[in-house]
Amino acid sequence: MAARLVGNDYIFFAGYVVLQYIVLATAWNILGGYTGYVNFGSAAFFALGAYASVFLNKAYPLPIPVLIVVGAVISGIVGLGMGYLTLRLRGAFFAIATLALAVVLQTFITNWSYVGGARGAYVIRPNEIEPIGPYIQYLFLLMLALAVIALTVARSIERSRLGLGFAAIRDDELAAEASGVPTLKLKLIATTISGALMGMAGAPFPYYIGYLQPTSAFALDYAVNSIAMPMIGGTTSWIGPLIGAILLGTLQQVATVTISSSVNLLIVGLLIVDCVIIAPTGILGLLQGRRTARDVVADPAVFALLFAVNVIPIYFLHQEALAARPLEIIFWAVLVFLAFARGRLIGLSWLVGLPIFGALLSVVPGPSWLWLVSALALAICLVAGLVLRPRDAVARSTT
Amino acid sequence: MTALLEVDNVSKRFGGFVALDGINLSVKAGERLGLIGPNGSGKSTLVNCICGTLTNEMGTVHFDGTPMNGLTAHQRTRRGLARSFQLPRPFPSLSVADNLRVPLLYTVNARSGPHLSAADIEARTAELLSLVGLANRGGQQPRDLTQVDMRKLELARALAAEPKLLIADESMAGLSNNEVADIVALLIRLNERGITIIMIEHIMRAVMSFSQRLVVLVSGKKIADGAPDTVIRDPEVERAYLGQ
Repeated sequence: MAARLVGNDYIFFAGYVVLQYIVLATAWNILGGYTGYVNFGSAAFFALGAYASVFLNKAYPLPIPVLIVVGAVISGIVGLGMGYLTLRLRGAFFAIATLALAVVLQTFITNWSYVGGARGAYVIRPNEIEPIGPYIQYLFLLMLALAVIALTVARSIERSRLGLGFAAIRDDELAAEASGVPTLKLKLIATTISGALMGMAGAPFPYYIGYLQPTSAFALDYAVNSIAMPMIGGTTSWIGPLIGAILLGTLQQVATVTISSSVNLLIVGLLIVDCVIIAPTGILGLLQGRRTARDVVADPAVFALLFAVNVIPIYFLHQEALAARPLEIIFWAVLVFLAFARGRLIGLSWLVGLPIFGALLSVVPGPSWLWLVSALALAICLVAGLVLRPRDAVARSTT
Repeated sequence: MTALLEVDNVSKRFGGFVALDGINLSVKAGERLGLIGPNGSGKSTLVNCICGTLTNEMGTVHFDGTPMNGLTAHQRTRRGLARSFQLPRPFPSLSVADNLRVPLLYTVNARSGPHLSAADIEARTAELLSLVGLANRGGQQPRDLTQVDMRKLELARALAAEPKLLIADESMAGLSNNEVADIVALLIRLNERGITIIMIEHIMRAVMSFSQRLVVLVSGKKIADGAPDTVIRDPEVERAYLGQ
């Protein structure tokens, strides 16, 4: 509770969003990661929870914990219904159907004037609440509780009979049926739990934001983030979405306050690209060594492209305020990692020194031409990595 | 003996192609049946119709005295009808032992009767693994198994469901002579424990040493059904296999 001592409420505003993403990513992963059905409609379930709150706030005000339960029930029922309609579809078709559901729901809400329609709806929240104090701290604690609930649910599913059945469906649905797994029933359970958790995350949202409109409740961010976070963290364990949500969520919060929002998007997009190429099984998969760095940089073209792409955000971040500098570290680290892996592969271990050298030059204060030297170091590293081939391959081609 | 499986006039078409054309087949409890036929003759389609993976447009399948029409594949598995797949289809992200836990938890424990405890499941898994010769491999991932071991896992998973009838769909393709003999011996041992077995196989040596009765499918029709020695000399069967 350091933030309470500091007396800065901002940390609660930012922390709330990160916690909200933990719930969304964990919820998505129960259907997407465990059972293998990609849901593009996360925003729809989130918005359902939020609009259930808006509706009740107007019709019959209730305390937020009750609204959370209501949001969970409504989103869970919609999840069940959507599952029943669409789960006979496999792969891309299921994903498209979930996207369609989000569009249909958004159109419905936009045209329903009782909950504000396209104008949006104001939700007046009190400034303080007894005995916690500032209302945002109350919301933060609620979301913290939801995150704990979501992670507990995910963790206990993973270790249960249900989790084994989900994994069997994800791996091979025909073989699962032949082994006695009631696949349709289990998939419906997965969509219901997943939808209910997303609705829970959405229920307190109108009180957090104060003014809710369809475009913010159905924002693409929710759909993209709730997919990207588990993917980046790793989808086979409850820890994956947690890691992904904390990393990407925190990064987005830092980027939002330090730099322009367009560069923010660029950073997140590039990180997703990095993760998909370097760690396709997520950070967890990378840690467990299911894929080695060698595989990633084995193709010189992949190395060069990835290297060049990661230089772009450094260029942009360099022109931003000083507060954005820490974000550069991430991309310098990726460059160092790439140079290290490629250098080891082609037997030139000094290659890793070039991006380190460049990073140091860009940090130390000095004459403005220093960045040219830094850029030169990166260019040398890029070209060396692209042109030079592994020694054994060279030996083979000369003999 | 009463019939455990009764296939009555089952037909299946894919568009204009008739894959099965009025198949009648009766399998007695405790029997060892061989099912052969050239590629594309409808053997696997018949298995899929019996097991509920595909729905047959015409005809009925009775198993253990009850009609199977409208039952899903997992419901049929729970009633005691298990199959192995022609190409092994393990659950790749689960360990070998977990592959067997799926049918134990979802078939055996889904039936009425005493439930297996966690310790029972542990013991049963180990027992199944040693039965098919995969002891000590429980902790491995399926991708680390050889093709032979993958086929053994496929059989073990079907057996884990404690079936009354086991349909082994080409579980010996690509195996060496010794391995074929091992699997035939295993299947005969299982049969002696009371499991009725239908073996679908191209390896004639295996089929002839295993089967008490032989059924031949050609182009979706049953052209022979009887004692293996008689069936194999049937001129129509010879024509189907060797050409004119």
